[in-house]
Amino acid sequence: MQCSKCGNPKVIIKKQQSGQLLCKDCFIESIEKKVIKTIKKEKLLNRGDKVLVALSGGKDSVTVLEILNSYRKRNIIDICAVTVDEGIDNYRQDGVDIALRHAERLGIEHKVVSLKDEYGITLDEIMQKDNHKGSCTYCGVFRRTIINKAAREMGATKIATGHNLDDEVQAIMMNYLEGNTDNLTKLGAKTESKAEEFTVKIKPLREIPEREIGLYVVAKELEVHFDSCPYAMQSFRGEVSELINQLSEKHPTIKYSTLRGYDKIKNILKKELKKDYAHGRCAICGEPSANELCKACSFLEELGL
Amino acid sequence: MSFTLKYKNINEEREIPSENYTIKDLLNDLELSAQTIVSKQNGELVIEDTVIDEDDEIQLVQIIYGG
Repeated sequence: MQCSKCGNPKVIIKKQQSGQLLCKDCFIESIEKKVIKTIKKEKLLNRGDKVLVALSGGKDSVTVLEILNSYRKRNIIDICAVTVDEGIDNYRQDGVDIALRHAERLGIEHKVVSLKDEYGITLDEIMQKDNHKGSCTYCGVFRRTIINKAAREMGATKIATGHNLDDEVQAIMMNYLEGNTDNLTKLGAKTESKAEEFTVKIKPLREIPEREIGLYVVAKELEVHFDSCPYAMQSFRGEVSELINQLSEKHPTIKYSTLRGYDKIKNILKKELKKDYAHGRCAICGEPSANELCKACSFLEELGL
Repeated sequence: MSFTLKYKNINEEREIPSENYTIKDLLNDLELSAQTIVSKQNGELVIEDTVIDEDDEIQLVQIIYGG
């Protein structure tokens, strides 16, 4: 058995979808090349961009930071990072510490924003409330708001997230199964909003399977936080993920074909179904909002805060 | 014939139960999915088809958690 590219007998991956065997160096190179190809194909970066990396300290965001840093080293872009501390006991602090160490190692501007400081409540405290709507609902909305604000404050022109192939396919299937055609129009490698206050979001890892990102960080010996969010399995996403992974065992190309299929109909979906929201301001916080209150403030109101 | 298994808090010596016993067989015995784990044999990353030899140190790293 040897690497399909260079003949090295020390193979670290056998790709299920193609049967290709790769050694450590060829695997690392293949991941980096694939991400760079996505960046080019989807026009994710422009020279002079200041990219805010949403850095949790997990494998995905650390990989984004690592690969985008190659553009920074060549003075093509500048990078800054934000880490959101949701307030999840025995889980989040390790990731925050790792994020801090990566930012220091690379010498990039970085800030940590906690839900407690921003909204006066932690996710753990929200989950103690009787009328909560599920952890992921709050986490997603509060995190998105914090990251958007940080992008404006730090002067970022793009926000890079660590969404991988599995995340994207889960989102496609979840929204389809829920009949959420509105959200279905918002997926893709690059999402732009008509509201200037919303910074463009990019997903450079969109075509990389989650397992390969895990292997990449171990192969490159990057420090990451490998742990499970204690709330993850409560989510619909968790159930959909399990189903897709079961199907992938027998049909190893299914994640790619789901993504490719979505990409083919994406523009039609956007043309036919995308809603043009009126962009006003939230009456409480002043953030852009389609309604009187933004999602974050309406959640806070429901929670009695 | 035995090998050392390192996985999370486990650090134990295990018997090699059969000839050509692979990491994939070990993962099956431990009821772990190869989709969520990467494996090291004596400190080096390997694929799951790798046969476990006597005195090997097999380290399993969980890279994907549920959700």
